[in-house]
Amino acid sequence: MIYTILVMSSPASGHCSRSAAEFALRVLARGHRIYRVFFLDAGTTNGSVSNVYPQDETDPATAWLNLAEEHAVDLVICITSALRYGMLDDTESRRHERPGATVNRAFTLSGLGQLVDACAMSDRLVTFGG
Amino acid sequence: MILHTLNASPSSAAFTDCVRVVSRGDALVLMGDGVYAAVEDTMACDALRATGAELYLLQADVLAAGIGDKVGSANCIEMDEMVALTEQYPRQQAWY
Amino acid sequence: MIVAISPKKSTLIVVRHSPYGSSLARASIDAALAHAAFGQPVDLLFMGDGVLQLLPCQDSSAIDARNIGRLLASLPMYDIDSIYIDARAAAHYKLDISQVPLDARPLENAELHQLMAQYDHLMGF
Repeated sequence: MIYTILVMSSPASGHCSRSAAEFALRVLARGHRIYRVFFLDAGTTNGSVSNVYPQDETDPATAWLNLAEEHAVDLVICITSALRYGMLDDTESRRHERPGATVNRAFTLSGLGQLVDACAMSDRLVTFGG
Repeated sequence: MILHTLNASPSSAAFTDCVRVVSRGDALVLMGDGVYAAVEDTMACDALRATGAELYLLQADVLAAGIGDKVGSANCIEMDEMVALTEQYPRQQAWY
Repeated sequence: MIVAISPKKSTLIVVRHSPYGSSLARASIDAALAHAAFGQPVDLLFMGDGVLQLLPCQDSSAIDARNIGRLLASLPMYDIDSIYIDARAAAHYKLDISQVPLDARPLENAELHQLMAQYDHLMGF
């Protein structure tokens, strides 16, 4: 089966986004394909390079980076939401004259069309929010 | 046939809305604060059982909450089993 | 130029939050518009507190925010003509469905599940 995963939760609120990353990993382990993980609203902050966690806590971004780097999972951040949350790539930070990119390069900023495309191409849409 | 996930406490609007929709033939996975709805002998737990849906709890969240001894014979599952549920149910509604 | 995507999968966007208490209302409208723009079948169900987005006479300038009620009223321009409303929540908040500027079909409790079960995808906001 082909999956699209929609992440609405911030890594700072509860651990729903960690559950989403774990879910993604288990989807692959069961032999399915992930068409895209799309981050929307507060979920866009999962792509941040600026979050700092105490040494005794795992950085929730690690799981997403692993999915991108080891499993070539497409991680897309909704650009409309992203800007509101200060999630900027190099292009947007220059365009809006901000100090620098705040989004990890493993994530791509793009429009909601990428979510629509992903849903059209997927057997399953699974949303993580709250 | 709908797979529901509830990631909010039983005192939330998400719980109230969820319980109105979940039906026999559906499955409901409680996660995050949603696991507290499975504490036995509470109105929330009774309401969930009355829906007739298959109930599941994410084990990691039950352990974190420390309610393993309060959810009786509830079906605690690992993430792998949650994926299996998504294979079985064609659509998922996230309540949060 | 936006080209319609195929294949087509039907999506029901389930809207459950008030218009201005979070950013979810905007996100749900943007998602609905994106589906419509790419020719993907999309419907909206306003449930629970979500019906509050349909209250008339919202003056969001008072909080310097985009007017959600007005945004929703413009959905027919993007070929989203009809929506579903949770009748019980509408009655609770005294929302006069006849005043909603869209073709709004009220649904009773049992009909909510019936509606949701018809779609390929459910997107909860």
